[in-house]
Amino acid sequence: MINLKINDTVLDVKEGTTILNAAASVGIYIPTLCYHKDLSPFGGCRFCAVEVTGARLPMTACNTPVAPQMRVLTDSPTVIRYRQAILRMLLANYYDAGYKRHNGKFVMDEDNELIRFAKEYGVDVASAMAKHPRFLVDSDPNPYVWVDRNKCIQCLRCVRACAEVQGRFVWSQSYRGYQARIVAGDDSTMLASRCESCGACVVYCPTGALDNKMSVHKGQADKLVRTTCTYCGVGCQLDLNVKDGKIIRVTSEADGGSFNGLHLCVKGRYGYEFIHHPRRHSKPRVREYLLKGEARPAAGRGKLVDVDWDTALDIVAKKFKQVCADGAQIGVLASGHLLNEESYLVNKLARQALGTNNVDTASNLYFHNETDGLLDSLGLPAMSNSLDDIAANAQAFFVIGSNLTEQHPVFGARVRQNILRRKVKMIVASPDFFNIEEYAALSLRHNRGTEAALVNGLMNIILEKGWENKDALKKYPNGFKEAKAIIDGYTPKRVAELTGVPAEQLYAAAEILASHHPAAVLWGIGITDPEATHALANLQLLLGNLGQAGGGVNPLRAQNNSQGASDMGCSPEFLPGYGRVSDANARGKFEQAWGSPIRTEAGMNSVRMVEAAGEGKVRALYIVGEDILNTSPEAADFRKNLEACEFVVLQEMAFSETTRYADVILPDVSFAEKTGTFTSTERRVQMVHQAIEPLGEAKPDWQILAELGKRLAAGWDYASPAQIMDEIAALTPIYAGISHDRLSRGERLQWPVESKAHNGTPILPLGLFGEVSWSAAEKIE
Amino acid sequence: MKAPRALVLVSNDPASVERGSEDVFRALQAEIRGHHLQEEIKVSTISSVGERDDLPLVMIYPEGVVYSPITADDVRLLVEEHLIQGHIVRSLVGRMRESVGEIAWLRARSGVLPVQQRIVLGRVGLVDPESLDDYLIHDGYAALGKALFEMTPQQVIADVDNSGLQGRGGAGFPTGRKWEFVRGAQGSPKYIICNADESEPGTFKDRMVIEGDPFSLIEAMTIAAYAVGAEAGYIYIRGEYKLGFKRLENAIHQAEERGLLGDKIFGKDFNFHIHLHAGAGAYICGEETALIESIEGKRGQPRARPPYPPTYGVWGKPTAVNNVETLANVPPIIRNGGEWYHQFGTEKSRGTKVYTIMGNVNFTGVIEVPLGITLREVIDIYGQGMKKGGKLKLVQTGGSSGSIVPASLQDTPMDFESWRKAGVSLGSGALLICDERTCVVDLAKTILNFFHYECCAKCVPCRMGTHRLYEIMNDISIGRGTFESLAEIQSLGLDMEILSNCGLGQTASVAVRDILKHFRTEVEEHIRDGVCRAGVCKITPTPIYAPHEAVIR
Repeated sequence: MINLKINDTVLDVKEGTTILNAAASVGIYIPTLCYHKDLSPFGGCRFCAVEVTGARLPMTACNTPVAPQMRVLTDSPTVIRYRQAILRMLLANYYDAGYKRHNGKFVMDEDNELIRFAKEYGVDVASAMAKHPRFLVDSDPNPYVWVDRNKCIQCLRCVRACAEVQGRFVWSQSYRGYQARIVAGDDSTMLASRCESCGACVVYCPTGALDNKMSVHKGQADKLVRTTCTYCGVGCQLDLNVKDGKIIRVTSEADGGSFNGLHLCVKGRYGYEFIHHPRRHSKPRVREYLLKGEARPAAGRGKLVDVDWDTALDIVAKKFKQVCADGAQIGVLASGHLLNEESYLVNKLARQALGTNNVDTASNLYFHNETDGLLDSLGLPAMSNSLDDIAANAQAFFVIGSNLTEQHPVFGARVRQNILRRKVKMIVASPDFFNIEEYAALSLRHNRGTEAALVNGLMNIILEKGWENKDALKKYPNGFKEAKAIIDGYTPKRVAELTGVPAEQLYAAAEILASHHPAAVLWGIGITDPEATHALANLQLLLGNLGQAGGGVNPLRAQNNSQGASDMGCSPEFLPGYGRVSDANARGKFEQAWGSPIRTEAGMNSVRMVEAAGEGKVRALYIVGEDILNTSPEAADFRKNLEACEFVVLQEMAFSETTRYADVILPDVSFAEKTGTFTSTERRVQMVHQAIEPLGEAKPDWQILAELGKRLAAGWDYASPAQIMDEIAALTPIYAGISHDRLSRGERLQWPVESKAHNGTPILPLGLFGEVSWSAAEKIE
Repeated sequence: MKAPRALVLVSNDPASVERGSEDVFRALQAEIRGHHLQEEIKVSTISSVGERDDLPLVMIYPEGVVYSPITADDVRLLVEEHLIQGHIVRSLVGRMRESVGEIAWLRARSGVLPVQQRIVLGRVGLVDPESLDDYLIHDGYAALGKALFEMTPQQVIADVDNSGLQGRGGAGFPTGRKWEFVRGAQGSPKYIICNADESEPGTFKDRMVIEGDPFSLIEAMTIAAYAVGAEAGYIYIRGEYKLGFKRLENAIHQAEERGLLGDKIFGKDFNFHIHLHAGAGAYICGEETALIESIEGKRGQPRARPPYPPTYGVWGKPTAVNNVETLANVPPIIRNGGEWYHQFGTEKSRGTKVYTIMGNVNFTGVIEVPLGITLREVIDIYGQGMKKGGKLKLVQTGGSSGSIVPASLQDTPMDFESWRKAGVSLGSGALLICDERTCVVDLAKTILNFFHYECCAKCVPCRMGTHRLYEIMNDISIGRGTFESLAEIQSLGLDMEILSNCGLGQTASVAVRDILKHFRTEVEEHIRDGVCRAGVCKITPTPIYAPHEAVIR
């Protein structure tokens, strides 16, 4: 500990602490410009210079470590004079062309750090500011980032943000002296310099030299609404900036208690224009033949007619009842972007009101469920560890079947950060080149579909070299003998032939995995069969990486609420909370609550449902929030099947490919227009808050589902999503402690949350839903 | 090994090469080999022969005869007459003329120039810089041998400390103490860096050592490595020193071949490798932490200090950064013992200093003299007086970042102690001697233009200050100056000195503020009267005078 005195306060701090942090620890504020706590200190702006008694010159607080018996003055008249001098020099190089807009008028930018400091220290901006611009305003063609070097003060926060947060190294400082400026790449454009448009540089810019191009002219927001991003499973927390009922900007907060902090990706930060898209449905629509009570036209489905909600819902309810009465099947497909509350209602509607288990997430049409196979091998229906934990504690990453930086960009960037900072070794296995490979210690280019063989090959080498974790084997012996028999068949030579990965690379990969403990296995939708999942689970059992920080099996869920949809029973086999429909115990609770029996046989999965619709076995399809034609890999077949389907109800926001095959269109809303929860890939349940009123006559999906439910069965009086969540909590043990109240208070909860007093489970215990056992990791032909 | 009986030097500066010096060199070698004299007569090259038009030239030692200009056709006559018969070939002897650089020193030994005290430059011009054998004959590697076989690393440091050797890069930090810090610092491996990025305008002292005696640098670094416990070293050489680079490369190669560098040096359990790194033309990379960043492959910008390089240097490891001149002092100190060094210089500033004399004096070039002699002595004795018709006006010491010394201070002894007291920096040892034909405004403008161009742009005071100061001086020099701007120079200059991150920004305003201190009247004349005393500034646009300030010219 080092003893020093700052102003009148005597304090002890750890050796190596900077003056700035030491001062902050006793509540003394030192203003900074080029310093940001997320970035490495630079010491260029000299704005944080403080007086240190005995030192020849003032010292910059941001990067000077404390010394014993130091005596620091942070706000003496001399220090204030330094700050004013620095501000005047900075402003001499700052030119604001006044293109910001406020209430329709063009104004100077007053909402940036530099100008706020100038006002605070009594420096007159108008007289100190540069008299002429030196650079082109808006000089970069990047569609999202506005570059105005006239306002740049060379603090280089953007340079450091790009390097240290996004790991992309687009920005750098170039030229010397007064001519120095920030340049992208070799002084070309941002996109030509490998920019990913994540906007990190914009967030960290203290002067508005870098700004959000879409928002430059939009002015100040009326309010900020904290919500959860709707793109991928990472679940970033973002603030929707709302002005006059429109989203004008997306920001995030450093201390928002979120995984992402200030960081977001291009999708979350800039992909909000769809909310106000002109092609959105403003009213429910039905086909003319339904209104006239005629038969469906022989070709196509006829004209779409705008109707009111009651008419549309009555038509749907009537048709569904009729199909049920005929003893025919109905299929329900739900998007992975729905709220938990809505996913729960979808499951309830199918099982209770429509009496079928034909309910599934629509994403299963085009990719395999990433967690498949984990339930029967490890008893886990989700990622075992947390994103934070993996990033901070893993000593090695094994990434397989995941385009990490595009599918989960903010987590991908965090992985890059840790490779840069902690020198974590990463192995990437993939049939194609993915951007994240640039950071890999080793890339394995295996043939498509040979993931299981590849992983078996690694285990074969680990066993051959005796690198396995003996304790883990002792702890989980179940099925090891059978598994080993399979693994023994996968000699390096054979695996090299099967996968196309040279044997020496297999040995190198096995050595990295065995010598770095804990190692985390990460995969995405590139894992296409449960056998590969089994193999990965076996690998982690073998290495003893399960059930501990920085390790684990970590399927990264593709959609923002894929995990929630599975949790909420959008599955032909599982009820909410992973009870099987065949299990009387699991059913009983729901049957009692819902007041009707649940079918005991598993329903059709989504692929089967669409096929059956074409065969006439499924007579009605209810598609909630998914454009299945546009996302499907087999569009031609889908088209045929949908065309053949007797009655298609489509709940969607805007016209899509699938609209053509719908008989009834129920307009729903975007995530900005409703309140509820999403469950991220790390099982974290997070709030979605309504930011704007629903556009037109569109309604949140939960309201539509509740209205429809009311028309079909009893027990559908839902006044708010909070009420639905309470019902979920009462029926689903893993969500037992979750309520909107707790989440809105900022609690960070990862299921299982056993009770209102329980704080959640960051690392899943093995065997949560069943036995831990080694599983066959090979297709039985 | 036999010492050659004669040394033939062929000039190989760019101008000579253009005029066929390489043909001459080849012809000489062939001719000598033809007479089977290659064991007796050494042929080598010499660069930096000053501005002459009678190139290429050939010098033959020990007689010290200069022949010029020489073509390949003359070679046969030279070899047969001079080298075999021993007759000087009168018809080919070059004209006597004033020249600078290495030839000037050679003449010094024949009594034309006053006696110098040569420690650093002791071998320069005497030995073949491309031959390790020649170096060995001239006491080469005696110091390293003594250090490795007779001394512990601590004793080496103690000896250097005892000698009182101070860093010759400008700051004057005691070398022994620096090595002590590095030796005691946590972390391994440790590094030695030789700062050979000599970019200070008008300074060529290190170049003389690098080009003239590269082996002494290699030996000194090896001794330093032994002392601090380093296993690797870098020489960061100014990119423009192409010949120096080549000679160092050759020296490293030869030393490695003989087991004097690399693994198991002198057969001892001591390994040391040297990497040669050429700069890319940035002045700031001579600043030690910017140099380290540059070696690491980053943009050359100074780091924050503390931590200082002895604890956190290249690759984050303890590093001793020493100037070329400092290192060149080490082998003689080790060879002769620290006490021996006390006979040179003053009590507080031991040893000699290599100065580069430039400006309006009769002799310009590099000299090595003991610390503590006065400016007047340098000008009158070594500079051989001011040029005809000139009277000393000012001297700028230590290159662009140095101070302006008015004529009134020319009797202050030049050593670290006295000059620090007088507020003057000794810096790199460049001495720009100006007579009254020099305009102080023009001088300040030139200096500031240099900084304005070379500023690394990391910190605000330097980036904005150098630009603003240049703007002001430029305005004054074209007759658009104001009296307010003089006050701005003072305050801005002080802010720069106090708030800048590194020495560049801290000293960039020194010269202009010194000028304001000593020559304010002359600057004011530019502003008020539109007159440049020295007649240098082109004050063409008629200044706009306020009526009461108007003067009749």
